[in-house]
Amino acid sequence: MEFNLLAAFFATLTVATYFLTNIVYLRYRKTLLNPVLASTAILAIVLVMANVSYDTYMTGGSWVGTLLGPAVVALAIPLYKQRDLLFTNLIPVISGIVAGVTVGMASGVLFTQLFRFSEQLILTVLPKSLTTPVAMQVASNLGGIPSLAAVFVMVAGFTGYILGPSLLSWLHIDSAIGRGIGLGTSAHGMGTAKAFEYGQQEASMSSVAMTLSAVLGALLGPIAAWLLL
Amino acid sequence: MKYIYTLLHILVIVGFYLMGEQLQDFFNIPLPGSIIGFLLLFTALMLKIYRLEWIESGAHFVLAFLPLYFIPATVGVIEYGKLFSGKGILLIPIVMASTFLAMASAGWVSQYAAKRKERSD
Repeated sequence: MEFNLLAAFFATLTVATYFLTNIVYLRYRKTLLNPVLASTAILAIVLVMANVSYDTYMTGGSWVGTLLGPAVVALAIPLYKQRDLLFTNLIPVISGIVAGVTVGMASGVLFTQLFRFSEQLILTVLPKSLTTPVAMQVASNLGGIPSLAAVFVMVAGFTGYILGPSLLSWLHIDSAIGRGIGLGTSAHGMGTAKAFEYGQQEASMSSVAMTLSAVLGALLGPIAAWLLL
Repeated sequence: MKYIYTLLHILVIVGFYLMGEQLQDFFNIPLPGSIIGFLLLFTALMLKIYRLEWIESGAHFVLAFLPLYFIPATVGVIEYGKLFSGKGILLIPIVMASTFLAMASAGWVSQYAAKRKERSD
């Protein structure tokens, strides 16, 4: 009973922290106040200060995390609504996503190999450009560490969100398709959030890229691991 | 009444998710169950077996809080303090560099292909 109460407490704490940081973010709109980043920082500090282990926190935290599965299924709805955009630009969209997913996975594996990291860490870095639920599942299927994979997904997301626009303009990637596919393929939901600032077309392209690269990444992940390791 | 529809839609989404998990388990498919559920739902919508209106409000609700579901996983960073205080800190610039390469190649290839398509049209 005490255990369940504790779990309910941690689940509530997670939800409450998210809603509070979301209110602050919506008011000030500063990148560093991003609700995921801010909530993670607050919860991490609270847990470390209170000397609570991650396993104890996850008795309730996992209740919130379980919702990721259905959320991925729900991504079929925005993709279905953008199907016209997808089907009229099918070849550019698909070729860009295939290139990005392949280069992202291969470079992640090669760089980590170069610095002689363990195989478990290499497999954890591999799915970093995929949306969190898929990246975690790919990492766990391959023998990586799901929770650490989620951390790398956040690093990739923030890289795209904060530094992506400079990289894109430096490379003269200035079309809606190029920007959207670049951001969505490499930086998933956070890239898509940045794409919304360019416009509707970029945003649609980016969410298509995020969804399709998740599907493609789930298929290519085992192949990339098998080829490169 | 609106809330009842939203709730029913959410149950349908969870149903597709569970179906994906079951199929994954049964046929040993090397894809996460959630992605299988996603593909099933997308196919059902494309083939007009299932209609957008029968699921849209639930999907909006589920996706409105998408960032929330990531938080328990990212809090897991507290387990890796040791990793990131040592050599593991190198993994951060590695991930950033690899993200740059992925973005550059995805963006460049799609833009190039779209411009070629425009010219040939």
